[in-house]
Amino acid sequence: MEGMERDRRLSRRNLLRLGVGAAATGALAAIVSACGGSSATTAPTTAATAAATTAAGGSTPAAPVATGAPPPATLPAATPKTAKNANATKLTFWHALGGVNGDIVSSLVNQFNDSQTDIFVQDIFQGGYDDELNKFRAGLQAKSGPHIIQVYDIGQRFMIDSKATEPMQTFVDADKFDLSQFEKPLLDYYSVDKKLNAMPFNTSNPILYYNKNAFQAVGLDPTKPPRTWDEVAAAAEKLTKKDASGKPQPGLNFAIYGWFFEQWLATENALYADPENGRGAQRATKVVYNSDAGVKILDWWKGMIDKGTASNLGRNTSDSQTAFAAGQAAIIVESTASLKGIINKVGGKFDVGTGFYPRPTTGGEQGGIIMGGAAVYIAKDKPDKEKQAAWKFVQFISQPKQQAFFHIGTGYFPIRKDAYDLPEVKANTAKFPQFQTAVDQLHANPSNPATNGAVLGVFTQSRTTDVEGAIEKVLLGKATAKAALDEAAAASNKALDTYNASVK
Amino acid sequence: MSGSPNTRLLRKALLYVLLGAAALAILFPLLYALTVSFMTPDEAARFPPKFIPSGLYLDNYRTVLERLPIPRYILNSFIVSGCVMLAQLVTASLAAYAFAVREFRGRTTLFIIFLSTLMIPWEVTVIPNYQTILQWGWKDTYIGLIAPFVATGFGTFLLRQFFLTIPKELHDAATLDGCGSLRYLLTIVIPLSRPALGTLGVYSFLQTWNQYLWPLLVTDSKNMRTSQIGIAFLRTEESISYNLIMAGVVLVLVPTIALLIIGQRQLIRGLTAGSVKG
Repeated sequence: MEGMERDRRLSRRNLLRLGVGAAATGALAAIVSACGGSSATTAPTTAATAAATTAAGGSTPAAPVATGAPPPATLPAATPKTAKNANATKLTFWHALGGVNGDIVSSLVNQFNDSQTDIFVQDIFQGGYDDELNKFRAGLQAKSGPHIIQVYDIGQRFMIDSKATEPMQTFVDADKFDLSQFEKPLLDYYSVDKKLNAMPFNTSNPILYYNKNAFQAVGLDPTKPPRTWDEVAAAAEKLTKKDASGKPQPGLNFAIYGWFFEQWLATENALYADPENGRGAQRATKVVYNSDAGVKILDWWKGMIDKGTASNLGRNTSDSQTAFAAGQAAIIVESTASLKGIINKVGGKFDVGTGFYPRPTTGGEQGGIIMGGAAVYIAKDKPDKEKQAAWKFVQFISQPKQQAFFHIGTGYFPIRKDAYDLPEVKANTAKFPQFQTAVDQLHANPSNPATNGAVLGVFTQSRTTDVEGAIEKVLLGKATAKAALDEAAAASNKALDTYNASVK
Repeated sequence: MSGSPNTRLLRKALLYVLLGAAALAILFPLLYALTVSFMTPDEAARFPPKFIPSGLYLDNYRTVLERLPIPRYILNSFIVSGCVMLAQLVTASLAAYAFAVREFRGRTTLFIIFLSTLMIPWEVTVIPNYQTILQWGWKDTYIGLIAPFVATGFGTFLLRQFFLTIPKELHDAATLDGCGSLRYLLTIVIPLSRPALGTLGVYSFLQTWNQYLWPLLVTDSKNMRTSQIGIAFLRTEESISYNLIMAGVVLVLVPTIALLIIGQRQLIRGLTAGSVKG
């Protein structure tokens, strides 16, 4: 009896505690939501900005990038959250660049906001490209998206079909904007049926990274990276050595990344999709990457795996980078955008060399590489005033000076030729000659439907799920190249049919 | 236990060694995360992997704290998870009480409808929920993060099953003594259901704490993001520095582990109290 009394009293006390806890949390939530709910400047935000500025005040950004990275000129720590002019047209800009690159984007936005008072742009980092696109997709019907959004290269078809963006060509034509200085491959990539859909922003292309010290140690010329598939295979063989316990250490690693496969198709001047890679008036109706050209790529790759001269570290490109930096793989392929990151990871342990993306020994005369990276789109369902303001912002970030600033800070290369004439770019290239490779490759690239890249509504799925799955199967010896690619193509075509039917 | 003192000692020592090894195996990922967070970028990328950093490289923490307002993210996560947990406890116990103790027509049918919601995958509800939140102007607010998860079919089911184990005689005796329905719930049923409430509370807190997509959709401003998004933001498209990510992970882990250590006794006491009769 007494036990129950005690239990009941205890339970009431506990209930009271629970109630107080709930009330306290509720009150806290109310206070904090009042403070931090909107994006207006309040005590917490200014305190954070002040703290961040004093912490980073004037010094170079994050230590990990410090090795070998020239600090950007002036880097405010956080984007100020309010416009100086209360009547300014307010725009939102979604992007997917995080880390140091994200800081550079914020810096660009600040430069724009500081240069005039009529327009205020707020940049919001939305995570990776896929997360950002998912969020955009989710909010499409609610029409609450941003004014300007950065979307990756393969999202182009989806953006066109979403009908949520105004083609960049409209603005270009209205203002008679001069595109002559812009790199033609970039304009070609983001145009379908001769109409420019988006303004290229951060562009990259794939290059070969190699360990110069390792090359020298095995008698290969460190100034001459291998250019063709056969040369790469031969170099990998020389670089494969046995480690202390007698286990062979492969000389080369390629991450199982669908982008690499897509690029190798282009080096063979082969199409990814039909007709014309979806570049003409008619949209792509089927994928054709299971052609002989596709099989040739996988046969070459698998041949090296079988010989033990190439390792399989899975799909993650960062694992490939880590292996390279740790000296485990002397040759890898990666985007030029990772150049700074790789140099930092290597940390001076050896000399990093870069070369053109490997092409087929024969049959690659008309082939080349496809532009990667992302572009910015302007939303359609916004008032005209805001659209024009967005166009002004897009023009600003496409200026030579801004492109140079972006290029030096990130490793992506400028979208226009006249940026290279600027002294800061020349100085940067002198300091980091590895940057020049991507630029040379860009300028040597022929322009045709294969190198313009495919425009496909289900690109992400086909490249990541289907193609990478096929590559995995082949490398693990579970299927032949032709069978695996055929299976993948069938899956991609099924998805493509569903997609095309849904956008009629 | 039979055997001489020596065998007993040996057996005990062996037991401790096995337990120690098991503990190390389980804790290893956390310990590794801790050590990597103190390494320089090229140390972290080395192979064979280093387990002991050459020094206490604090720059990772400095970078992470500079780049992202991690303490704010942790606070946001706590607030949202705490509110969802409390809300779910309240709504689930009220609904479970109705289904378990009260008798009314259509009780079983209604309960089956509740159960059927468990079969709807969340992917189906994400987009309509998101659009509703946008329409109501709850984007970028705490209420937007909490609202869709205030009620749960699973919680109702869990608590109902537990409430059913409380003998009906108790309810009859209480009613005879003049105890009203709500009072019976609050003063008798709830205290007796501590284990189930504890389970539901921990489960809902953790579920909400680990959410990624919903907070990513609903929040835009830097101050409203939650800790999971914060850690994910440490990854960049171009290259991943694990030393930074581990520093972020450790920062997010510290308050939760601290809370667990402090509250451990309370949690166990609360879960087991009342389990022994009389």
